[in-house]
Amino acid sequence: MNKFMEVLEKFLMPVADKLNNNRYLTALRDGFMVALPLIIFGSIFVVIANLPFLDRLIGEETFATYQSALSSASNATLAIMGLFVIIGIGYKLTQSYEGEAIYGGVAALAAFLILTPQVLDGMGGVIPTSSLGAQGMFVGIFTAFFAAELYHFFTKKGFTIKMPEGVPSAVARSFSALVPMTMTLTTFLVVRIIFDITPFESVQDFVYTVVQAPLTALGSGLPATIVAVLLIQLFWFFGLHGQIIVNSVFDPIWYALANENLQAFQAGDALPHIVSKQFIDSFIVGMGGSGMTLAVIIGIFIIGKSRQMKEIGKLGAPAGIFNVNEPIIFGLPIIMNPLVLIPWLLAPVVVAVFTYFTMAAGIVPAPTGVIVPWTTPTIINGALATNSWQGGILQAVNICIVFIIWWPFLRIMDKQFYETERKQQ
Amino acid sequence: MKILLACSAGMSTSLLVSKMEKVAEEKGLEAEIWAVAQDKVISELPKADVLLIGPQMRFLKKKFEAKAQELNVPVDIIDPVAYGRVNGEAVLDKAMELIEAK
Repeated sequence: MNKFMEVLEKFLMPVADKLNNNRYLTALRDGFMVALPLIIFGSIFVVIANLPFLDRLIGEETFATYQSALSSASNATLAIMGLFVIIGIGYKLTQSYEGEAIYGGVAALAAFLILTPQVLDGMGGVIPTSSLGAQGMFVGIFTAFFAAELYHFFTKKGFTIKMPEGVPSAVARSFSALVPMTMTLTTFLVVRIIFDITPFESVQDFVYTVVQAPLTALGSGLPATIVAVLLIQLFWFFGLHGQIIVNSVFDPIWYALANENLQAFQAGDALPHIVSKQFIDSFIVGMGGSGMTLAVIIGIFIIGKSRQMKEIGKLGAPAGIFNVNEPIIFGLPIIMNPLVLIPWLLAPVVVAVFTYFTMAAGIVPAPTGVIVPWTTPTIINGALATNSWQGGILQAVNICIVFIIWWPFLRIMDKQFYETERKQQ
Repeated sequence: MKILLACSAGMSTSLLVSKMEKVAEEKGLEAEIWAVAQDKVISELPKADVLLIGPQMRFLKKKFEAKAQELNVPVDIIDPVAYGRVNGEAVLDKAMELIEAK
């Protein structure tokens, strides 16, 4: 067992290093971080605009006016989050090369807009907002990577107009950006023109059909979700931040799925996906942290007899309510503890499957596509994510499931601690 | 002394900050201790005497080591047991040890 764990850690550590510290994945993660405050702002107003029972309280007509008055908040942020992610990625990637970051950001944005068709049903000057949100997510991410890379490449090559001394540095900077910017954007223009004559008609359609649609279809399925959840748990078992590592890969997929749900939700249509960003963040992680350790804390308070167990419960509870669970993971400990390996891996998978089918059966609505800050306490968190009280109840039920799976193992652990403590006295 | 703690979002390390501050105060030490998310480490590093990384983000050490060496800021991973117990005293001792050794 020890040998096996050693081998596994030797394998997981470089994976964690590569995924977390990779230049592009770091830019991607930080790019989403740039968009996050806007995403949350939009989400807040989606929740306020869709308060349950309000339509019955104030009448349908007033409710429609109320909704449309608030809709700009989310339409300008959450629904077109791709735009902000693109600027963020372009900025952060250029920054990682120690270049003028803001130029990388706007280069990414302009490149993306060059690739975006601005004609809809024969009418010019129109960009459908969906291509700036859900549908444009992947093409946006790739464009931002390429644009920032090209901008860096052309800058590094020294294709800049050198200004004589005495010219104010801001003036010099604006000129120094001119040549690399022109070359970067011209490249994208050529790409755009080439794509115009292909059967795909636009890069947007091409990336959507060839990359995004298959990936999101895969990512919205239960098997991929279980794999992602198991990986998160496995990394954490070795004391590595599983969520941050797995998110580096899955976030674009989960956010795109969330945005597609939001579109449907805003339009009053049936939600197309069950799995999305908030499925993971609320129903898998948002119950005390990765591994849903809120149930473990509750378990400790109910059955803990040993001093050690009680102390860990007291230490872990306040942070656990806000889904920070390092004290439990390192304190119980969960890391490298063969005794808890079974509930640690099993509970989140059971909960994922249970949540999935509860939503598939229509007992609980799927997450609407709003993004709830991950530190929001359980039950509130689930209710906000699904815009329904059922979401909160589901989280409570899930906690019971986790508790039942953990119960025998917690008992054994507590007994061991208790025996040791008695012997010491 | 200035102690910088880092993890993914600076959340769990901030738990440790308050514990460490309390211990420092009890011991009559003047210490500035703060926790940041991983993307803020490089910009905060020049202000710090030592950088301690949460064990769950220990793969960050490699990433920050070069920059830290350049600034002569020692870097280490927080001991997992001390981290789990939110043992401010142990982590503070470790930080002082690292600062003294540099």
